[in-house]
Amino acid sequence: MVWQPGRTDWPDRTVTVVVWLTALTVTGVFLWIVGDVLRHGLSGLSWGFLIEGPRDTGRAGGIGPMIVSTLLVLGVCLAVSVPIGVGTAVWLAEFARGGGLFGRLVRWSLDVLAGVPSIVFGLFGNALFCIYLGMGFSILSGGLTLACMVLPLLIRSCEAGLRAVPDDYRKAATALGLSRSAVLWRILLPAATPGLVVGLVLGIGRALGETAALLFTSGYVDRMPGSLMDSGRTLSVHIYDLAMNVPGGQNRAYATAIVLISLLLIVNVLTSHLADRWLHRRITRT
Amino acid sequence: MKYGWVAVLLLLFAGTGTYVWSHGSQVEPPDLGDGLRGQLVLTGSSTVAPLAGEIAKRFESLHPRVRIDVQTGGSSRGIADARRGTADIGMASRALKPKESDLVHHTIALDGISIILHRDNPATALTDPQIVAIYTGQIANWNQVGGPDAPITVVNKAEGRSTLELFLHHFKLKNQDIHASIVIGDNQQGILTIASDPYAIGYVSIGTASYEVSRGTKIRMLPMKGIEPSLDNVRNGTFPLSRPLNLLTHGEVSELAAAFIAFAQSPQVHDLVEAQYFVPIDQ
Repeated sequence: MVWQPGRTDWPDRTVTVVVWLTALTVTGVFLWIVGDVLRHGLSGLSWGFLIEGPRDTGRAGGIGPMIVSTLLVLGVCLAVSVPIGVGTAVWLAEFARGGGLFGRLVRWSLDVLAGVPSIVFGLFGNALFCIYLGMGFSILSGGLTLACMVLPLLIRSCEAGLRAVPDDYRKAATALGLSRSAVLWRILLPAATPGLVVGLVLGIGRALGETAALLFTSGYVDRMPGSLMDSGRTLSVHIYDLAMNVPGGQNRAYATAIVLISLLLIVNVLTSHLADRWLHRRITRT
Repeated sequence: MKYGWVAVLLLLFAGTGTYVWSHGSQVEPPDLGDGLRGQLVLTGSSTVAPLAGEIAKRFESLHPRVRIDVQTGGSSRGIADARRGTADIGMASRALKPKESDLVHHTIALDGISIILHRDNPATALTDPQIVAIYTGQIANWNQVGGPDAPITVVNKAEGRSTLELFLHHFKLKNQDIHASIVIGDNQQGILTIASDPYAIGYVSIGTASYEVSRGTKIRMLPMKGIEPSLDNVRNGTFPLSRPLNLLTHGEVSELAAAFIAFAQSPQVHDLVEAQYFVPIDQ
């Protein structure tokens, strides 16, 4: 916007200032958080911190077992939720387009599930996976509980992605006589990748940051997990414990937070690139 | 280069998997002749859990065929799990109530609770009736107890915390009588709250508070009935507001659980108890 002398267009200028201010505030808050975490935690970071096990309730030693547990819980969560999520989204977007009673029921229950507090998922996961199905406190129970938690996010954004694919694609494919599965696999899914990626990024963020649900399912044990049936403490649970239960754990909590944020960034970048190269390019290149 | 990222991601997961697999399939460690083997699950108080975890690690290093999983969730959960049998041993940071007499308690350490104020608050001592009046809202300004003219920020603990139960029990209060300005969960949170508000009053574990005072955190502990809140006074039993940290068992106790409890009460773990700022007990 160019400032022209003589023309006092004050409502316009006020809006400009307000919009700039809000954008600056958001950026400022983000930088403040990252800066604060870096300032307190950077001194605690070292190679040993990343690979060693914790000693003295986490005030010494490292967070190696927690990194492994976190990756395993996340792996279980994605391995279960992505196939189910994409399947349901395809059904909702392609097979139940008009709505119908069942379609509306599924959408409604997903929207309700997306708003349920994580501690409720934790209690549910503890009752179902740990006790009823006999998995006990284990990485498997934790991953499955997280899968239940991120499914609504994944399905809804993947469905939105599929719906955003122009109908011309479907019509052209039908005109060419392509089978329904070929259309889905070669055209619709690749074209819906951006939606899927948004869902994945949100889901991974929610899963990595989860504390309450995991405290009751994957547990608190800070040993290096030996199998998926072992209990394993994730990074978020470790941060919670250091900050809340361990006197003098504050700096270690900050250092762990840096690792968690970095892990989140790495996994997100990898996911987007993976989805992009694997799916999206199939239609943009060929 | 098309599948480069796929390769990186697969490597990441494969690496983790292999690591876990190779660690999981280790040869069983040698028996050191004590015959102890098996797995124990402990659940309960988040105050006891870090200490129990450290004791468990030392016990495992002495008995390589034993594995002890320590979970958390609060004293009430420890009691419920010990009863139900979901845990071999429960953990509670308070004494058992009469209706919980079906459980057996094994005290492993003591902890005291101290009233804390901001360091710059000029009040030097409060009597029990004054504390009761502050927490029930009858005294709402520091100038009524010889302080500056400023409203009192009353910091209370959340329902279900054993510190809260002990506090209420000692002052014969009910939680619904308390007019709290802020309700907090853990000791650390309480200390951070009071260190940032010059007119706040709260109560936390003596061990945690002494550690924070020694680090220069802006809090101050108030004596109770003229007795200084210190670990020594908790140890000799003169400090009025103290609580036991208990391991709980229900019904028949396995040989392994009994051995672990005996170990947790022995002088071999006194250094671990002290490292968590609790008071070891002498058997």
